[in-house]
Amino acid sequence: MENLEIEGSHKNFFIPTVSFNAKTGICEISGESFLEDTVEFYKQIVEWLERYIDEVKGPIAFIVKLSYFNTSTSRSLLDILNLLKDYEDEGGEVVVNWHFDENDVDMEEDIDDYIIDTGLDINKIPY
Amino acid sequence: MDNQLNSNILDLYRTLGNNTPLSYKGPIDDHILQVIGTYIGGLLKHSPKAGKKVFKIFIELAQNISYYSAERSKLSNNKDIGTGMVLISEQAEYYTFMTGNLVKTDDIITIIEKSEVINSLDREELRQYKREQRKLPPGKKGGAHIGLIQVALTSSNPLDIEVNPVDDEHSFFSIAVKIDK
Repeated sequence: MENLEIEGSHKNFFIPTVSFNAKTGICEISGESFLEDTVEFYKQIVEWLERYIDEVKGPIAFIVKLSYFNTSTSRSLLDILNLLKDYEDEGGEVVVNWHFDENDVDMEEDIDDYIIDTGLDINKIPY
Repeated sequence: MDNQLNSNILDLYRTLGNNTPLSYKGPIDDHILQVIGTYIGGLLKHSPKAGKKVFKIFIELAQNISYYSAERSKLSNNKDIGTGMVLISEQAEYYTFMTGNLVKTDDIITIIEKSEVINSLDREELRQYKREQRKLPPGKKGGAHIGLIQVALTSSNPLDIEVNPVDDEHSFFSIAVKIDK
């Protein structure tokens, strides 16, 4: 299975950098997310994860280092986290590490809301 | 030269005054979002915390105009883009971020009701409301509401909403929100 690599940019919209590794299961998303077509962009990420879960069946470490995302992105992130939670419930090994600026109270609240929403253990890592 | 128009623009300039670092009226497409977004970043460098909040609020509200404004502009690339106003004013203790755009009068009741719900909730309730709304399928109109919830959360202040009918079918919908420095 191929890795998923998307180079982030700041040109018109904010495209996050995506680096999902099919060998190690380390899946990192970083930068900022504010896109023209959020659903379309995140569809490829969800599909990659579904394939990985289906074919590789390995561990997943989902690493989030987003310093900003808009509300439509927040919906797509919820879809990803729900998918990971389902995988974990079926016996998959899942770790979620969410890095955030310790001064960004709003971001910490967002992470807490995801924990409540999904029931996943999300490790909050302030920097 | 049309002197009337010239004195109108002078009036407008004076009305906006020194404490309005940004005002824009026109179509809001991705280029405008980018330009104004970058400008806000530079403008508010000296207060990064408030600056980030103004930026987040700008993105949500400006995107709402771009998607939902009843006044549309056709750009040269044939894209149909919502038109409206964006304003930032600065006071000693806070910034005020404002947007204004035309809305079909039929849609206005829903927006007012949603805003009143948002203003009646405390922070914890607002977070819960956002989580509930986020679980719903992302219908186009629903997207605007979660944006408004996020604006209230980001600013930690109530939404100041005003609606003024402009003709039989349209109202001018404006929203002002305070961001403490």
